[in-house]
Formats: sequence, C-alpha cells, structure tokens
Amino acid sequence: MNARPAMALLAAVACLIGAGLAEARIKLVALPERAATIVRLDNARATLVEEERVLTLHKGLNKVDFSWNGVSIDVDSIRLRVLGHPNDVTLLNVSYPPNEAALVWEIHCKDAVEERVRISYLLSSIDRLIAYKGVADKDERNLALRSFIILRNFSGEDFDNAHVLVDYGEAFDRGILHEETKQLLFFKREAVPITKVWTFDASKLPWDPGDLENRNVGIPVSYRIKNDAASTLGEFALWGGKARVFQDDGHGSTIMLGEDVSPLVPVGEAMELYIGDSRDIVVTQRKMREQAINERKTTGGTTVLYDMDEVIAAKIENFKDTPAVLTMIQHIPGEWRMVDCNLKYTRKDASTLEFEITLPARDKNGPATVELNMHYVRLNLRGAPPNKH
Amino acid sequence: MKRILIAIVLLGLVASPAVAKVDLVTLPNRDTVQLTIYNSADLTLVRESRALTLKHGANRLQFSWANTLIDPTSLEMLPKANADKIDIQDLTYPPRVTNLGVWNISSEMSGKVPVEITYLTSGLTWRAFYMGTLTNDEKTMRLQGYVVVTNTSGEDYENAQVRLVVGKVHILDQIAFLARLPYPFGRPNQPYGIEGSIKVKRDCMLAKEVMTECDASYALDEVGKKEIIKEGLSEYFLYTIEGSDTIASGWSKRLPSFDVAAVPVVNLYKYEEERYHQQVVRFLSFANDVKHNLGETPTPGGNITVYRTVDPDGHLSYTGRSAFKYIPVGEEVELNLGPVENVLVEPTLMDFSTANYLFHPNGTIRGWDEIRRHKVDVKNTREIPVKIEVKRNFDTTYWDIETGGDFGAFEAVDKDTVKFTLELAPRTNKEFTYVLTTYHGNRIAAWKPRTADSTGPN
Repeated sequence: MNARPAMALLAAVACLIGAGLAEARIKLVALPERAATIVRLDNARATLVEEERVLTLHKGLNKVDFSWNGVSIDVDSIRLRVLGHPNDVTLLNVSYPPNEAALVWEIHCKDAVEERVRISYLLSSIDRLIAYKGVADKDERNLALRSFIILRNFSGEDFDNAHVLVDYGEAFDRGILHEETKQLLFFKREAVPITKVWTFDASKLPWDPGDLENRNVGIPVSYRIKNDAASTLGEFALWGGKARVFQDDGHGSTIMLGEDVSPLVPVGEAMELYIGDSRDIVVTQRKMREQAINERKTTGGTTVLYDMDEVIAAKIENFKDTPAVLTMIQHIPGEWRMVDCNLKYTRKDASTLEFEITLPARDKNGPATVELNMHYVRLNLRGAPPNKH
Repeated sequence: MKRILIAIVLLGLVASPAVAKVDLVTLPNRDTVQLTIYNSADLTLVRESRALTLKHGANRLQFSWANTLIDPTSLEMLPKANADKIDIQDLTYPPRVTNLGVWNISSEMSGKVPVEITYLTSGLTWRAFYMGTLTNDEKTMRLQGYVVVTNTSGEDYENAQVRLVVGKVHILDQIAFLARLPYPFGRPNQPYGIEGSIKVKRDCMLAKEVMTECDASYALDEVGKKEIIKEGLSEYFLYTIEGSDTIASGWSKRLPSFDVAAVPVVNLYKYEEERYHQQVVRFLSFANDVKHNLGETPTPGGNITVYRTVDPDGHLSYTGRSAFKYIPVGEEVELNLGPVENVLVEPTLMDFSTANYLFHPNGTIRGWDEIRRHKVDVKNTREIPVKIEVKRNFDTTYWDIETGGDFGAFEAVDKDTVKFTLELAPRTNKEFTYVLTTYHGNRIAAWKPRTADSTGPN
C-alpha cells in the first residue's frame, strides 16, 4: 500500500486527550466516517471541499481533533457547522496544537447525541480544466461541440466518492484519488452555427509576398461561435479552455483543423478560435506615395509642422474555389483625414480601419481579385519630414 | 514492435490501478488503422477500429502506450454501434502509472461492439520534394513530385490507410511535449502546455535520427506506384494514398505524387543590388494552372532540384536547387535557382551633377537637386532567349526619371522602386539609360507626385 498523508477527524472525550496540547498527544478516539463530500470547483483560484460527518458527542465538553498531515489546507478557511441540533450543540472555540497541521474544536453539548456536522475548507492542488472538441461539418456551417471537464487531484487526499459541482451544468458524483486525473463529458451540442473568418492585419503580416523569396504568407483563419440561444448555447458563460477543432471529411472520418485557447465567453458574446492559416488568399500591399505637404516653417525657414500625403494600394487575390470574406485591418496613426477610398470601411478606433471584403471564388481565368486604394493625409506632424536633407 | 496495448479488464479482479494488482484481460486486435499526417507540424491523427466484447454492467477498458509519442489528452473512444446502450462515463489516468488510461464504460448490452479510438501522436512526418528536368531549349520542364513518409513514433502501423494533409495548422503545444509529460494534464498551478512547450526542443538525437531516416529514404526509391487522391477541405488539402501501407517505426517510405511531362516555364533573370548585390539571379517561373498542364490541386511546399537535359540521350546537367512554396491553384511561382554568370547586368553611373540651389537670406543652403545619369548594359551570353528584370531602388520618395535607349517595359513598383523588364535574343546585348533627378530640402516643393495609376516616367 502506498503510505500517504491524509485527513483525519478524531472525536474524543476530553479526559482521554493527553496532558497538554503543546506536548506529545496520546489520543484514543473514534474515527467518524465521511458521510458526504462536496467538491466545489466554481472558482478557478481555489477549490472548496465540504464534508459531512457524524460525531458521537457526550454531555458536556467535547474535543474534536481535525488534522491534515501532508494535505494543503488553508487553515483560516476551516469551518465547522452543526447541522442536527444547532441549539443544543455549541462550538466554543478552536485551538491549534503547536507544530502540527491540526486543530481542536471544543464543543459543548447539552445531552449525549450523535450529531451531523459539516466541515468545509479550501484545499489546494485540486482543480479542474475545461477542454472543448468541435467537429465542423464538411461545409463548415455547423460545429458539433463538446465540452469536457478534467478533474486533477494532487491534493494528497483520496476522495472515494464526491459530489462535484461547477457553476453551471449538472453536478455529478465521482471518486478521485490523489494523483489521479479524470476527464468527463460535460455538455454537448450537435449543430452550433459557425462563421469562418479570414483576417489580414496590415500591422502584423508582410505587405509584399514578392519580397519573401518564395515563402508563403498565411492569412489567419478563425471560427466564430456565438454564445446565444440561436446557436443552441447561451445558457451560461462558456469557461475558457483549450479547444481542438476537427472537420468531417465526408468519408466517415475527420481531419484536425487546429486548436486554440478561448477565454471565458459571456452569454451573448462570441468565441473566436484561430485554427490555422490560409495560403489561398494572397494580399499584396504597397505604399505608392508618401509626400510631405502643407509645410509650416519658422521665420528662419525650418519646417516645424507638416502633413503627409500617402497612398496605399493593396491587391487581394482569392485562389480558392469558394468565396470568402476577408477582414482587412489597416492602421493610420495619429491625426488623419481620408481623401479617397474605393472600399467601405468601419472606423474601429482612432487609428484602426476595418474593411470587410467579399471575394468571389476563382474562375477559369485565374484568381478573383479585389483592389483597395486608400488615399489619406496624416495631419500636423511635427519636425522636419523624412527624406529632407 | 507493437507498444500500444488495449485490454478489457474484468472489474472484479482489479484491486486498484494505482497499486499492485492482478489483471485478467482480453486483448482485442486492431481491425483497421488510419493515419492522417500533417506536414506543417509534428502531428498525426490516428484513428483505429477494434471490436470489444463488453459485458452487461460496468466495464473497464485499459489503453496503454509505453515508449510511444501519443498525446494522452487527445484520447477519445466512440462506439460505432449501439451507442445508445453504451455510456462512456469517464476517462481516468490512474495515479503513479504512466502512459495508461482507463475508460469506465457502462453497458446495457453484452457482446461485441465495434469502437473507434482516436488520438494524436508525434513522430510521424511527411514532406514533399520535387525534381524538375528542363528541356534543351528550357521552354518546358518535366515536373515530378514525391512524398516521403517517416515513422519515428515508436509504434509500428501495419496496413494503415495513409492520408497526408497540406496546410498550416495552428497548434498550441508540440505533441511530443505533451506525450512526455509525467501527468497528462499537468498538475494544478503548473501549466501543462502552451508556456511549457515553448521551452521544449526536440531531442537532438531524435532529430538526428529523423534526418538519417529521411536521407535513407532516398535509397528506397519508388516502391510501386500508387495513386494519390487529392481533395480540398477547409484551408487544407488532403492526399489519400491508395490502398494501405505498413510503416514500421524507424522506417521511411517514398511515394510518387505526380509527374507532368511538359510544364511551360519562363527563365527570368533578376538584378536588384539591395537584394542580390551585384549578381544576376536566375528564377524559373510558371503558374499552377491549366495552361501549364497543372492546376488541379495546390502543390505542397518542399525543395526542388532542377536539371537540364543536355543531349539526345537524355544526359542531365544540374541547374540548381530551390525551396518550393505552397502554390495555390492559379498562382505563379518563381523558383530561385541562384546566381548565374552567363547573364550580365552592369549599371554604371555616367554623370553626377547638382542644380537649382535655394538659399536662405542668411546664406545657408535650403534646397537643391541631384541629377544622376546611369547607363545599364544587359548581356545575354546564352544560346537561348532570356527575360531580365532590373530593379532600381531610390533612397527617397521625391524623384523623377527620364528613360532612354532600349529599356523594354517600365513600371513604377512603389514610392521608391522602379522596374525595367527586357527580353533578349540569344547572345545579344542591350543598353539603356535613365536620368534620375532627386529633390532635396526646400526643392521638394518643386516635385510633382505621380498619379496613383501612373506607371511610366514623369
């Protein structure tokens, strides 16, 4: 057998406990069994354990010894609640013996009684993870979504059977041993609608693939899942966790599309899972003009303020045999004014423009091509413009 | 040698998986196995089917994978029949044993049940490579594609259906890292992946082994031609190799992917000092489309070795080697075959002058122009026609250019780059000139911007 520290609850008559708490203690005690244990995992930072036991108490003063050798319990979190006869059984005080992971409750009882008590405490090194698995259909319109809960118990304590609760979904009964990990299916939805999103962010990706010497630029692809009723979700926030996404290949099998970690997704918001890069959409972006204009000078002729007239030209090619919608993000820092832009955009913040560009599928003549031409002026730049010798 | 074992364990005889125990087990055989191997990550999705004999009530299914590179967090089992009568209650990774998972199954029936077990493993890889053979006139090229599958996973996969995935999958943790963790999902307060995996590097010995196997695979050569079925899925392409293959651990297998007899190619020579210094670099370009006898599917990235046929007997001459990127259907590719000496580009600064000085009343210089006259000699010493691109980059956006001589096609590429494209007959020279005026200081005001659609010189 593996010798391992564990928790013990010892109920004893006061006179049988040794001479003093500060010295070696001799205990002759009854060992009350756990009646019910609840492991509550609704807080990612700490796990709350509640256990119920039946104490055999005699009339007068009782001492109940609770020890947890080798188990990491937050000592200040330990609570005792009398369930059966709260008016007759009174918790008087709590004592902490020196150099021991233990405490002693002094309980006064009006009559001899078998009393049910609930002990609760925060226990370290036992927690849960959430993992998702999604299988998209071949058309990439719906996702069979499953969520798993993974219990990890490295607390030092075996739980032969526990009622495990999280903050949503159904509770379940499971035993989990020390150093054991258990994975359980938590919920499943058969057809969650998904939106496929391609994103080119001009501040993150290379502008001209021609400069890259025969290397590809991948356009990030994500699946967007709305946490709402229309998506058969929306009952609770989806906890953050690692998601692995697969796709039905149409032959009774799947391929793996990719994986990502999602943060917690509140009801009404969307989970966005970045699964991989598309190399079938190619963006070639170039700056065609960068000209200082409207220069303001000191009486000595030094330029102190100017505007910059800039032209960006981007060619977007879709080599796929299906249409796609590319989200293109452009950045213009500082103060600026758009002179002319051939595509519609949304201003996301002071310096970020977002274009939603619909790309048809390629045809027999080649890729579908859309061009973006953006002429803008950056205003009131200070100092001398670049290229000015 | 098989290292993955699966066993139905009779519940009553198991004291505890954590301690010494006596097991009585049945070992169900693997009926079929499918490997889906990625080329952008050390990742393989394994799908195997087995027939289990379940009894009514509680069953435990023990799956162990000693000395392999399986990611335990990816283990999954699905009954393929009677799914409504079989409840997979949980998957438990017992304490103090490694590479072992136990499915607790509650069955409302007894008898044989086909199940599918899937997991991710590391150690199986594939790569593409190509051979190009130019004709004598270098107008067309025979293009042959191959794939090499290498197995260092520790497990022999017999009679497996092999599928290869082309595409850039996003994964957070290396599967090999997850496979080596002492606890499948780590411990509380210790990340089991993501941050940890960044620090992990593949074992050098293992990497070396893979290289040796890859090199050894060339010696295996073609082992019977098999058709490869290609189809698109999401952002990926799936190549399914006909029939089944046995790839024992430690072995590689090379398979032909395609063979196109005559792909029309353009020999493009480029000169750009900022990128290639004073060298002319040869590119071979073609498009992955029907016009080039290609275009059915994208081609995966790899390396290509290009040869040239030098005589009627088919003797070859080595031309160069290049990386070969993923080429979508319809896209053009340029293979960089390295610098050459038989095509020459020589720009010469013939004249330099300054002009149009502006002075401040206090006597300091406030602006001026610089005028440079360049002559560019382009020489084709080859016996075949060539196409040459000459790019010139200017260190300013304020420039005007005047071209002269036989400069071919001209294009302003962006705000500070121009490109001349010339075609030269065999063993001919061309010479062109350009006069570049750059504006400095307050003379910038005299510069007139090119319109957005202007492609010619001002």
